[in-house]
Amino acid sequence: MATPTNAIFVPCCEKGAYNHNRPAGKLLQSQTLHLREALVQHSKELSAVLAIDPSSLKTEGEVSAYIHRATALLHTHGPRPTGK
Amino acid sequence: MPAGLDNLKHIVVLMMENRSFDHMLGGLSMVMENGQKKYPQINGLTGTESNPDTNGAIVNVQPNAKFQSQLDPDPDHHYPGVDRQIFGGAPPGSGRVPNMQGFVKDYFTQTNDVNRSHNVMSYFTPDKLPVLSTLATQFALFNGWFSSIPGPTICNRAFAHYGTSFGQVGMDLFYIKDPIPSIYERMVQAGHTAKIYYYDQQSSTMEIVNLLKNQPQIFGSFSQFIGDCRGGTLPEYSFVEPCYNDHPGPGGGEVLASDQHPDHNVQEGERFIAVIYNAIRTNPDLWKSTALLIVYDEHGGIYDHVVPPQVTPDGYFADPGNTGTGETFNFDRLGIRVPAILVSPYIPRGTVVPGTEAGANARIFEHACIPGTITNFFLKGDAKRTVRERNSSSFLDLLTDQMRPDSDVPFFHLGG
Repeated sequence: MATPTNAIFVPCCEKGAYNHNRPAGKLLQSQTLHLREALVQHSKELSAVLAIDPSSLKTEGEVSAYIHRATALLHTHGPRPTGK
Repeated sequence: MPAGLDNLKHIVVLMMENRSFDHMLGGLSMVMENGQKKYPQINGLTGTESNPDTNGAIVNVQPNAKFQSQLDPDPDHHYPGVDRQIFGGAPPGSGRVPNMQGFVKDYFTQTNDVNRSHNVMSYFTPDKLPVLSTLATQFALFNGWFSSIPGPTICNRAFAHYGTSFGQVGMDLFYIKDPIPSIYERMVQAGHTAKIYYYDQQSSTMEIVNLLKNQPQIFGSFSQFIGDCRGGTLPEYSFVEPCYNDHPGPGGGEVLASDQHPDHNVQEGERFIAVIYNAIRTNPDLWKSTALLIVYDEHGGIYDHVVPPQVTPDGYFADPGNTGTGETFNFDRLGIRVPAILVSPYIPRGTVVPGTEAGANARIFEHACIPGTITNFFLKGDAKRTVRERNSSSFLDLLTDQMRPDSDVPFFHLGG
């Protein structure tokens, strides 16, 4: 492992570097527009799934397709751990 | 096959934001040792490079770059602005020559202050950037890695994910026009592993198109990246995104943007790079089986002296309405040069990959090289992709037979 002779010191930022009141630049504003578009797409899929009457699903194939879509919508809150 | 390639199991790409090669690393060329240049192969600055300002005064490059509060407002890096920077303000048309003389004048359009417009000629001396300078001189530095488009972030990052921006040169949502899957989809569909690690949910990702389709499978957070490094569960391909904004942390703390986008703190970006390097470096199995590429998406409107070269077109074009210059762009030339460093214990200390300064021996890289290299290595080239990506250079041939001992590679000690 590393020895003191090849350790490079990395200084900390100056105090006052943090500023969450900094005006958001074009990149961040663009990112919010992209996320909004993602939400619109998400809501379309949500609406489509909610429009399905579960009592109309008769076969295991129909039910599994519904479950797949519903689970995919519900299980998007944060990333999952990596697994190889 | 060299031992470095035989042992390679993981490729990690960290893409930072908006700094040019000369701004971050150009000062390395002026480091002297025993009366001679210490790094003569690096195509950085001589100190005499200049741009005219709007008063006609000559503004030389200056070693006065600051970590923050110097490049505010954000220098222009959208297509029309970068066109002015490259061609010195000459309007599109036949006969104009790229001369890299329009940076200061273009920044004046944002600052309306002649003195402040000079700030895009600033560069860091190597002692100010101990992480980037150390990695650049101790592993492989690319003299000729360019942004893929003379334009802003989103379209340039698209080249790292898809090998093309599907004709986009701006920040608008880009819609996939053809069935060219992202590198993550290619990997997963072929039974391999790949993941985009964004910093946290307050910072999120710039790769929204994939977010729409495959979030759980191909996205992770930075804390998961660190956990995956420690636990030996890193995917074969990882793309790491820095923190893009200042925001409150858990428990009332402060999380600083680490992307180095002006006007974010450059030192925080240094620390972020160091944390990633240390996470790989401190797991012996991971260290010997991983190649880490650190690269910037584009130059952010900051000066670089190297004229971007021509490139194989990707089959798309942006019409005059989209370029904003009155001229069609055929994706046949690259954007401005950016810092790029490849880290692996199998890379000899002080490796410099020649760029345009080497003439016929030049090796030109751009972001399409990322999916190109990953596809060639893990998928043996089997994927639908653009001609441009197919023709792009691979960077893995820099890995050699000889693994450097721990005593010969740096470790970063982060101050509290």
